[in-house]
Amino acid sequence: MTLNTADFRQRALTNARYTADLIPQNAIVAGVARSPHPHARIKNINTAGALAIPGVLAVLTAEDFEGIRLGHNDSDEPVLTTVARYVGDEIAAVAARDQQSLLRGIEALQIEYEILPHAITIDDALDLPTSIHDSCTDNITDRFQAARGDWYEIESQVDIWVDNTFETAAVPHAYLEPRAAVVHVKDDCLELVCGSHAPSMMADHYRPIVASWGSQLEIHTPAMGGSFGAKWQHSTHLICLLFAHRLQQDVAIVLSRRDDMIAGRTRAAMRFKMRIGATATGKLLAKETMLWSDNGAYSLHGPAVMRAATFRADSLYRFAATRSEGQLIYTNNIPSECFRGLGITQSTFAQEQLIDELAKRLNIDPIKLRKMNTVCEGETTIHGWQVGSCGIVDCLDSISNRINQYRRNQTSATNNRYRIGYGVAAFIHCIGNRGYDQHFDRAYVKLTAMPDGRIRISSGEVELGCGTVEVLIKTVSHELAIDPQQLDVVLGDTAIGPHGMGSFASRTSFFVAFAAEDACRRFNQMAQHELLQNIEVTGIYQPDNVVVPDESGYGNISAAYTFGTHGCCVRVDSYTGKVSVEQYWAAHDAGKIVDINAAEGQVIGGVMQGLGYALTECTAVDDNGQLLNPGYLDNRVPTFADAVPVDVIFADTFENSGPAGAKTIAEQPIIPVAACVANAVHDAIGVRLNRLPINPERVWRTLNHDTNS
Amino acid sequence: MNTRLILHINGNEHSLPDAWHGRRLLDYLRHELSLMSVKEGCGEGDCGACTVLVDGEPMCSCLLLGGVLANRSIVTVEGLSDDHRQRFAQLCEQHGGLQCGFCTSGFTMMSAWLAEGGSETGQNSSDKLLAGNICRCGVYQQLKKVIADLL
Repeated sequence: MTLNTADFRQRALTNARYTADLIPQNAIVAGVARSPHPHARIKNINTAGALAIPGVLAVLTAEDFEGIRLGHNDSDEPVLTTVARYVGDEIAAVAARDQQSLLRGIEALQIEYEILPHAITIDDALDLPTSIHDSCTDNITDRFQAARGDWYEIESQVDIWVDNTFETAAVPHAYLEPRAAVVHVKDDCLELVCGSHAPSMMADHYRPIVASWGSQLEIHTPAMGGSFGAKWQHSTHLICLLFAHRLQQDVAIVLSRRDDMIAGRTRAAMRFKMRIGATATGKLLAKETMLWSDNGAYSLHGPAVMRAATFRADSLYRFAATRSEGQLIYTNNIPSECFRGLGITQSTFAQEQLIDELAKRLNIDPIKLRKMNTVCEGETTIHGWQVGSCGIVDCLDSISNRINQYRRNQTSATNNRYRIGYGVAAFIHCIGNRGYDQHFDRAYVKLTAMPDGRIRISSGEVELGCGTVEVLIKTVSHELAIDPQQLDVVLGDTAIGPHGMGSFASRTSFFVAFAAEDACRRFNQMAQHELLQNIEVTGIYQPDNVVVPDESGYGNISAAYTFGTHGCCVRVDSYTGKVSVEQYWAAHDAGKIVDINAAEGQVIGGVMQGLGYALTECTAVDDNGQLLNPGYLDNRVPTFADAVPVDVIFADTFENSGPAGAKTIAEQPIIPVAACVANAVHDAIGVRLNRLPINPERVWRTLNHDTNS
Repeated sequence: MNTRLILHINGNEHSLPDAWHGRRLLDYLRHELSLMSVKEGCGEGDCGACTVLVDGEPMCSCLLLGGVLANRSIVTVEGLSDDHRQRFAQLCEQHGGLQCGFCTSGFTMMSAWLAEGGSETGQNSSDKLLAGNICRCGVYQQLKKVIADLL
């Protein structure tokens, strides 16, 4: 996408163009035939009927994508499959001149299935007599173990244990713009236009495939209507690319909301069995975690998410010993994918409830208990993270003060029907993760003097609404002493480059700011002996203090770490089970704040998404794997009517390793929300809700001791 | 028997071809008239991204068939006054009233309706009036400020 300082204004004026707005009038339309069964072998596909329909141009099946897989490391997802592994799995694709022929074509495909036993829950999958993937006989596709400290020695010092089992739900990303892709045929190059948070990485994966067909590939990302971790590799891209290659015509696909929810991606559902041990005076000593993560049918980032969820939240506190084990389990559910906060959002739901429980059992204020035990500036955490600036104590104090103040002025008190409660939760998060990929902790920014005298800033990173463009414009205009109006920004265009890892782990602004500074240094040097119009330089940034962690995840994975504490006041209606959030406070240590408006926007938006995760969202699946709520009406994301007042506070910190002292704020705000609400609900009704979402039915059943809760 | 069916879209008269009588207004606006501000988020009337004004009332264009709109006046963002569009955009910039921007057309239309005094219940209940428009980036608190400043 080509952007300049007016980009935000163009979106605000509704002039920005998204993928589906860029479909040429004469483009061929593509669609997918999906499995109605959660697990079935495809015995036969008869395409003759479909091809006989006027307007249908071509049909693709698994044979056309022999040997091609989607995924990050453990690539296990075929583009079109011979074994359906979830309801909605892609079996065949049809290309047609118009939408009506397309729908008739998909309907006319005759697909014979041999039904196989299926697993919807983690327990079903572990007991399943068949394997979901041939390569994985027990349906456990990844295991992870980490142990730190002298467990037995530390265990013997523990005076008190708190333990519980926690379950989180699978939720859709539910970005407002459904997945779409357009492929333009340009000579021997196929141009894929689609929203993505990691176009360079997608191109790395797709290019060898497209090259094997004898064609080149470039990816352009236009404006994107939300990703939150989902918009990355997807079968629809390769389907459009192959149709375009075969038909030598432009091809487009736009998923319906229903198809997007059925065959999009979800946040992995997880089950934690966790216990935390402490001394009688409240010093945290030991934490043990057993995690089962529902991977769904295919892996994508499932292993990375499971690993992160298994142990990373531990680093917030000074545990002396931890034991963690995680299993990633194939089920016949929608494939899971990274989603804002990776697995930390899930594990924080468990950990912060146990800390709350411990505080209650020890009769210590939950803020005080956290302050006694959180890591500090200059410390190395139990997992080898070297903590630079750390504002966690500031955040805890701010939340404590706000809650106390609010409580004093609060007029509505608990009565027989309505119960008022307060909760807090804290978190730690990284900025990038060196363990992810060789490129991961590196970013490039290219500056090109254009013939018309303007300067073009290009990067393989993308703008997700977090302010990447603004960071680039501010940095370059300052360093080159040039009017921002003279700058253009091109992001996520592989034809222009340079390579970019993409938006993962809240890394983008932090990394591009440094890479842009480096590019400016090179630019200014070159400008001393070179004509302006000849200058093209690429700046690079790679933090020098990070390492690739060892197999157990030990090592300093990130240049700096972010912290925060949330607090809320809830009102629980004991007659109906409805939880209303009356007031919300979010205190973050994001380093020095560069743009207060953008930073607050990330926090408030993240809290709203977190409230959806805490209270209403879930993918409801029946025993036969059918998704019961593939739409906004039944899978309720927060609306205007659910908006709660969010008070945003930033700790006053300065990160020496960060650009202008800044750290980052993107994923962080969603991480502690569900735990914060659960702790407040516990405070209100005296019962712990250890399953998500905390919806009225579940609260009511819990209050009425109904065993089906 | 074919009846000539006239729609008034953004002040212009359009004769709706027969083929469009039974098809969605949303598709007609986007595909035939290239009014790309009108976005499809769900196609089921849940998200409000495709909101247009029909005779001054906000409606989801994904739920309307061309044939039922004879002689109606339809307004999209492209048909709003430049003043209103600029003011709304400027307030969004000031308050952070959007992130990805996919819901912005719908909120622009709702703001135009509210600014025209569309609702008798007025500003106090704008939260409920706007509950049919989803912003998945979650910037409702900021949008409240935008709407409040606008009215």
